Amino acid sequence: MLDSFIPSWAELLRFMPEIILSLVGSLLVMLEPVTGPKSKSMLGHVAIAGLIVALGATFVAHANPGAAFSSMIVVDGFATFFRVIVFTVGILTIFSSYQYLDREGSNRGEYYALILFSVVGQSVMVVANELIMIFIGLEISSIATYVLAGFLRDDKRNNESAIKYFLLGSFATGFLLYGIALIYGATGTTDLGEVRQAVLQSAEPPVLLLSVAAGLMFIGLGFKVSGAPFQMWTPDVYQGAPTPVTAFMSAGPKAAAFAIFLRIFVTVFESVGDRWEPLIWASALASMTIGNFAALQQKNFKRLLAYSSIAHAGYVLVALTARSEIGTASAMFYLAAYALMNMGAFAVIAHVAGKGETTVDVSDFAGLGAKQPVTAALLTIFMLSLIGVPLTGGFFGKFYIFKAALESKLLWLAILGLLNSAVAAYYYLRVLVVMYMEEPSARTENLEPMPMSLQAALWLPAAGVLFLGIFPSAVLEFASASARLLGQ
Amino acid sequence: MNGVPLSWYLVLSAILFSLGVAGFLFRRNIITIFMSIELMLNAVNLTFIAFSYDLRQVNGHIFTFFVMVVAAAEAAVGLAIILTVYKNRGTLNADDVNSLRF
Amino acid sequence: MDHILSIVLFTPLLGLAVLLFIPSSNTAAIRWCANAAAFAGFAVSLPLVFAFDPALDFQFVERLSWIPSIGASYHLGIDGFSLLLVLLTTLLGFLAILSSWTAIREREKEYYAYFLVQQTGMLGVFMARDAFLFFLFWEMVLIPMYFIIAIWGGPRRSYAAIKFVIYTLVGSVLMFLGILALYWQHFSEFQTYSFAIEDLMRTQVPASMQWWVFWAFFLGFAVKVPMWPFHTWLPDAHVEAPTAGSVILASILLKMGTYGFLRFSLPLLPDSAKDPQVIQIVAGLSIIAIIYGALASLMQKDWKKLVAYSSVSHLGFCTLGIFALNPAGIAGSILQQINHGISTGMLFLVVGIVYERRHTREIAAFGGLYKIMPVFGIAFLIATLSSMGMPPLNGFIGEITILKGAYQTSLAWAVWCAIGIALGAAYLLWLYQRTMLGDVKETNSGLTDLNAREIAVFAPLVVLVFLIGLYPKPFFRVLERPTAHIVERVRPGYHAEHRLVNPLEAPRPTAGLER
Repeated sequence: MLDSFIPSWAELLRFMPEIILSLVGSLLVMLEPVTGPKSKSMLGHVAIAGLIVALGATFVAHANPGAAFSSMIVVDGFATFFRVIVFTVGILTIFSSYQYLDREGSNRGEYYALILFSVVGQSVMVVANELIMIFIGLEISSIATYVLAGFLRDDKRNNESAIKYFLLGSFATGFLLYGIALIYGATGTTDLGEVRQAVLQSAEPPVLLLSVAAGLMFIGLGFKVSGAPFQMWTPDVYQGAPTPVTAFMSAGPKAAAFAIFLRIFVTVFESVGDRWEPLIWASALASMTIGNFAALQQKNFKRLLAYSSIAHAGYVLVALTARSEIGTASAMFYLAAYALMNMGAFAVIAHVAGKGETTVDVSDFAGLGAKQPVTAALLTIFMLSLIGVPLTGGFFGKFYIFKAALESKLLWLAILGLLNSAVAAYYYLRVLVVMYMEEPSARTENLEPMPMSLQAALWLPAAGVLFLGIFPSAVLEFASASARLLGQ
Repeated sequence: MNGVPLSWYLVLSAILFSLGVAGFLFRRNIITIFMSIELMLNAVNLTFIAFSYDLRQVNGHIFTFFVMVVAAAEAAVGLAIILTVYKNRGTLNADDVNSLRF
Repeated sequence: MDHILSIVLFTPLLGLAVLLFIPSSNTAAIRWCANAAAFAGFAVSLPLVFAFDPALDFQFVERLSWIPSIGASYHLGIDGFSLLLVLLTTLLGFLAILSSWTAIREREKEYYAYFLVQQTGMLGVFMARDAFLFFLFWEMVLIPMYFIIAIWGGPRRSYAAIKFVIYTLVGSVLMFLGILALYWQHFSEFQTYSFAIEDLMRTQVPASMQWWVFWAFFLGFAVKVPMWPFHTWLPDAHVEAPTAGSVILASILLKMGTYGFLRFSLPLLPDSAKDPQVIQIVAGLSIIAIIYGALASLMQKDWKKLVAYSSVSHLGFCTLGIFALNPAGIAGSILQQINHGISTGMLFLVVGIVYERRHTREIAAFGGLYKIMPVFGIAFLIATLSSMGMPPLNGFIGEITILKGAYQTSLAWAVWCAIGIALGAAYLLWLYQRTMLGDVKETNSGLTDLNAREIAVFAPLVVLVFLIGLYPKPFFRVLERPTAHIVERVRPGYHAEHRLVNPLEAPRPTAGLER
């Protein structure tokens, strides 16, 4: 009896990345009081080192796949894929934060600890194979991110962003949890595998209860991934939060939320798929349309990218609507590409924003092409990838998604989605127009050179975006193989 | 509990949950909004307990503890955020905390 | 010779790699490097002329697996049609860069970089044998042209550039949807993923689906050509673009649209393409384009806009020839595409030269230029005569062949064509008269004639004008097989029915069907 409480070595190995990050995060909190005010960046370096070690541990864990802790978590290709995404997002966030925090005079150790804790939460979400585990991971991630969104305590915009993110986030959690409770009631278990078996094998599955549960979880997760009609918090929160945190929020928590979206909806709810498909169909279309058309009118670059993130959530929802292996694989690929290109774009904003984020309008980027051609060229790569121009990761992401949609006979959704992406080109290109064709603004005229850390936060995603655009094969095959296992 | 069918508990928790949602949507004071969210979570707790009792399992009880712990952590962070908002703005009316979107 | 297409394709990018290492302050080195790269690109394409065997179909084929999971491959190959367009691209790409020597004075490094990237993209479009690769290059052309217009363009460049991109992007998205539909149809028939055009060609596409896919392709290509009523981006883009951008846009980019019709719409969707209703619609739009373009040209006060509208009219001939669906119409159309590339390229260069000297393009501001710029006057005259289809120049050969093809299909078409040719002569000669003849205006008296570099830009084009005009036989010879393939694909047994020699059954043992 006691044996079953002592985890085996293999089980620990499968959970090692989370253990490492929790320990490093706690270490940072303890180190914070004893580090001098000038050397807080050291703590950031420690955090990056922790994330890199965790990345290594992820691959070790992947070499020993399987369930752990009474199948509370499961290490499969799907989990590994998303772990790599969220850890990479964590590393890039910290790289783009040093300069920003120094400029705002808030370079404090708990920032890095909070990033790590949030990443741990996301990592737990993506490996969880049990609904309560998913809930706990989601909350670890969310609570840390609420604090990060309001990290500059005395900044009113930060306050507002944090309070909105907190209220809407908790509200969404309530729905998700209610859905979990109903699944538990309907099947008597919260283990995803068992729930699935129970649904499949029962003579009369409790369709009504499951449909209501699916609906509630859809609302909860819809908020988390900012899919329409639950997208209204996104622009305010993204605009108000510190730029590196915005980058983080738009990539990490979103990818993890989509991961559980995929895990729950393609396993547990597959048998009631006909009932939720129209819901997601409509949500996908509404997200793309609202996001793209609202973004057309934005002047603030962060707000523009917030609306664009709604539109991109719509594209991923198209992949979910496809309800197929290839749909799942394409969603995974897209989220990887999206995380990279968005992180890169926000890193440029963090550079140009200036103290107190006074210069984050698109017009403040005027003349960047002449003043810092390399920065401008990298931003161009990210913008082109967001449009979905060939040879960038964004293109292949969209391609796989619409291919999946067509194979699932979602002709109209594919056509409307593709037309949407042509509309989107307008506002991304406007950024390039301003950047290359207008006279330098007051800000770009006196732009400080880019520090090494921020360069890393730009070059790494740029390389990643181009790699996914030119040699997508390996990543796609990994995603397909993982999706195949997930569906079984 | 003898004689009280499961559905009564479920209906009660559904009503409580809906009250929470309504409070979230229609109240303007941030503290009240926050309390509405707590009400939603507790409605879910009731659902868990009711199911757990009906299924003769202990799992649901444990989940309730988890939810309570998480809710407490959330409350700690949430109240801190609400406090900073009050400090910087001197108001807790949700409509006044709307300076973005320029 | 195994990798000659790859070499031709990537020479501009190789030049770009060198260019990137030159500091942007050293403008002379940048110019030399860009010109050298473009010239090298032209030089390496010349062996194609001699190695190409007109009795074979796709040649110099290269095929490498690229993304096996979706069946996309790096698959190149050219037939006679592609060959002509590839050569036109390498030549005009070089001349466009050469013509920018003094015209571009700011941010030269970026300027030449965009041209070189674009060059590779255009060549890729004409070489790709894989629909996915084709689309990739198609989009790759778009972005550099956007920047070329948006950065070095005229006062309304921002508007023009965005309009160009949005139009083309919407079109290409629909085209891509068409490709995906065929790809999916191929998969459901053969259970293997492949984007290879020859594989897609073997797919049996149901009639209703063909109809949809045809119009999806049609919109994509029609925007690019551009056919009336999708042409409105063209005058804006041309007027605002720098000279070299206009030259590339008119000479090469527009041909991507007609190339798409001949490479995708007709062979892949033969049933829709020969549907009388479809032909009526497309021919109707082409005739409207011919007449509308010509009338609009007559009314223009801006020299460049006039040339831009003349493109709409000329491309109308090309699309009409294509949808005549007979060997004469298609071969004439292809030849006319090449001719248009040469003559309109020259006309845009002409505008660029006066604009560089006078900084205005208003026709009324000129007059009597022939007296002060005689060499320029002769070059312009040749371009004008070639463009209006004067025998024995190249335009005549192209237009008369299209006329023949149109006549075989419908007398009415031929009549409209003839009206279009007459109108073309009118607006071109009137333009020449207003700008070159008459009294010299005082403001123009100080203009200098062409210098050696500018003559070097015109010389190869003038040679081609006379070569195609006087000795078109080799051009028709390389087009025989591609044309016959398309005609036989759309209307099987056409050659036998009309007692024509079918070049596909020519007594050459090496001549096999495609693959």
